[in-house]
Amino acid sequence: MEPANSFIDFLRQESGKILEQTLQHIGLTFISLLIAVVIGVPLGIAISRKPKMAGAVLGFAGILQTIPSIALLGFMIPLLGIGPAPAIVALFLYALLPIVRNTYTGITQVDPAVIEAATGIGMSPRQLLLRVQLPLAMPVLLAGIRTATVINVGVATLAAYIAAGGLGEFIFGGIALNNTNMILAGAIPAALLAILFDFGLSRIRFRKVLLLPLLLLVLSSFYLLPDFYGSKLLAGFTPEFMGRNDGDIGLKKIYGLKIRTVVISDMIMYKAAYDKKVDVISGSSTDGRVRAYDLQVLQDDKHIFPPYYAAPIVRQDVLDKYPELAPALNKLSGTINDSIMTALNYRVDILKQSPAVVAKEFLDAHHLLQSPKSGTKGTIRIGAKIFGDGYILANMYKLLVEGYTDLHVETKTGLGGTKICFEALTNAQIDLYPEYTGTGLLVILQAPPSTLDSLGGQADKVYTYVADAFQQRYHIKWLAPVGFNNTYALMMRRQQASALQIKTISDLTKYLQWN
Amino acid sequence: MIKLENVSKSFLNGKPAIAAVSFQVNAGETLILLGTSGSGKTTTLRMINRLLLPDSGHIYVNGDSVETQRLESLRRNIGYVLQYHGLFPHYTVGENIGVVPGLLNWDKARIASRVASLMEKLHLPVSEYLHAYPQQLSGGQQQRVGLARALAADPPVLLMDEPFGALDPVTRASVRKEFRALDEIQQKTIIMVTHDVQEAFELGTRICLMDKGKVQQTGTPAELLFSPANDFVRSFFDEHRFVLELKALTIANIRPWLTQVNGEDNFTVWDAIAAGMPRNTLLDAVDQYRQSKYMHGTS
Repeated sequence: MEPANSFIDFLRQESGKILEQTLQHIGLTFISLLIAVVIGVPLGIAISRKPKMAGAVLGFAGILQTIPSIALLGFMIPLLGIGPAPAIVALFLYALLPIVRNTYTGITQVDPAVIEAATGIGMSPRQLLLRVQLPLAMPVLLAGIRTATVINVGVATLAAYIAAGGLGEFIFGGIALNNTNMILAGAIPAALLAILFDFGLSRIRFRKVLLLPLLLLVLSSFYLLPDFYGSKLLAGFTPEFMGRNDGDIGLKKIYGLKIRTVVISDMIMYKAAYDKKVDVISGSSTDGRVRAYDLQVLQDDKHIFPPYYAAPIVRQDVLDKYPELAPALNKLSGTINDSIMTALNYRVDILKQSPAVVAKEFLDAHHLLQSPKSGTKGTIRIGAKIFGDGYILANMYKLLVEGYTDLHVETKTGLGGTKICFEALTNAQIDLYPEYTGTGLLVILQAPPSTLDSLGGQADKVYTYVADAFQQRYHIKWLAPVGFNNTYALMMRRQQASALQIKTISDLTKYLQWN
Repeated sequence: MIKLENVSKSFLNGKPAIAAVSFQVNAGETLILLGTSGSGKTTTLRMINRLLLPDSGHIYVNGDSVETQRLESLRRNIGYVLQYHGLFPHYTVGENIGVVPGLLNWDKARIASRVASLMEKLHLPVSEYLHAYPQQLSGGQQQRVGLARALAADPPVLLMDEPFGALDPVTRASVRKEFRALDEIQQKTIIMVTHDVQEAFELGTRICLMDKGKVQQTGTPAELLFSPANDFVRSFFDEHRFVLELKALTIANIRPWLTQVNGEDNFTVWDAIAAGMPRNTLLDAVDQYRQSKYMHGTS
């Protein structure tokens, strides 16, 4: 398959999924909005009557608003697990402030003479509220609901990280897979939803406001539409895994695996498996959490996961300028195998040791550590993806380069994914980063199926092919592999796997077929 | 009929707003609460429809204590006009005027005809203004809508808090004149707050002059002018005394000193002069009335 597929083709192929995700997205946005209106408007009315409470309530809602959205979702997981519930609660909390604040502002800004007149001519407090205060507060209140809607459409993209669906599945999958069409297929509908709802709500006048709850209810119900085809086990796959030929697509095609799947962030996936929120996850084999959460890696008996050997990739012009760089980086080659990498990741991810310390101690133990030289010759910028491997390797390379050359090193770790890292490299925003052969083959080069067949999943052939292609196309050099193979792997809780006698992916497929 | 007995009220900081205020307003009378800012006149007014509660004392409207009446029904039977009209900006003129009849569950046709007849009386053409919103009207028109709203359910009692206070002098005079001529108000018991002495003399049957939260004197305009209870009352009217005297005195008051002039008893001297009756004769009679009063006052 050539990457020259047009965006329109992509939309046509994925129209079903786009519709489903859009409906989920609308549902998520409006369920949370509905709850926020039901709770926020009475709360705003209450604090407009008790001004002493207003400061405290608005202050608290304001603090909620300042919590970064991904962190708020993170807080929700221990309380509510994964899936729609924590996403809706988090979105509700975001929508609360604009609604409470605008209700309060709208009511308190009503002309005191009007309130006095209404009271003086004999309106009861209830009549005062319903006939005078709320109608006069309505334009401000509706503006608050509009603000909340637009915020929610944006934040709801993050729901994909915690298995709640929505257009974020495409956006994050696309970023991870270096697939612009996929990003746009998520981002454009999300932007359109925001514009559409903002415009739609701006047309509502207070005389028609009774339609609003009805509208919210209808839109909320979209979330319930997507089907729940049942299977005993629940899989939690990352957005990246969902879109890859050596991921969910391969599992379906080669193994015939049929399993109910939710999309989930790799940051919470392992914990979710441990907490029995999901049963099967698409982990990476050297992750420290495999050990920490006692997960069993299922054997890939049909070899759909290609080798993922890590190696530093460097722009050729940087190597030409600093010939001493490559030998320094290559000192790490062959020193780290799978189990060493898992142990290193375990120290960082689970024992919470600093990647810099772990890197330093490892180099010291292998007699590779030298104190930094002058660092006056120039600056090398080392990037890394947001996974554990990347942090540790980047720190090791920093120590090696500074110990064996006169170059100074800056690290830029925590880059969002393959696409972001690779673009940073080709745009000369970084000079090198550790990459995996499999990722280079499938995500960056997007090798056609015929090539994949001819390579046959053999580590050295893949490395040679990738190294040649990168040199030709991008003038980027693959240095010697570090040694470990951080391949994709399906994994389950060890206890469950042994209870169900599942050791390989074929076992899993069979189990699901028979039950 | 409205009666206040020893009504007192303190502000939150403990300073007295009004102290031991008592007065009575008979049915069909207009009582003016007159005084400078901070004299307690608006506070007094707001306690009659229980927008404020007194600390002590009793208030009776139509014989019943306001404390025993249901709050909303008490207020719906009292028309209320404010300085800054307080019209509902989201209601049309028609809806504003019809709001109290609506609260009293009148049927729609009755409300519509009542609104139309009031608008006619207040010179607000129905065809032009029924569906207009308050912000489309001039200040004088807004105030007339405010008055119509207070009169809509034909309440026996009308409370007016500086009803013409926000208008420019010319508009103010014309709206005031219309108000005086309105048949709707002739039978009503009215309490009106103002700080405008001319207005008080033009509209009041009796005036209750207040200062520093206390009633200084309650009486007819002529009583306040010619038999002041204390120095405050005497000096309060000094600035406009001459004009006020002409407005306060009626033909009946000065009849003993008039030989040739015939006129209706309830005509004020001011109106009589405006109507073209002999000016010098009238002014001489007023002078003699004044002298008799002061001689009477000092003896």
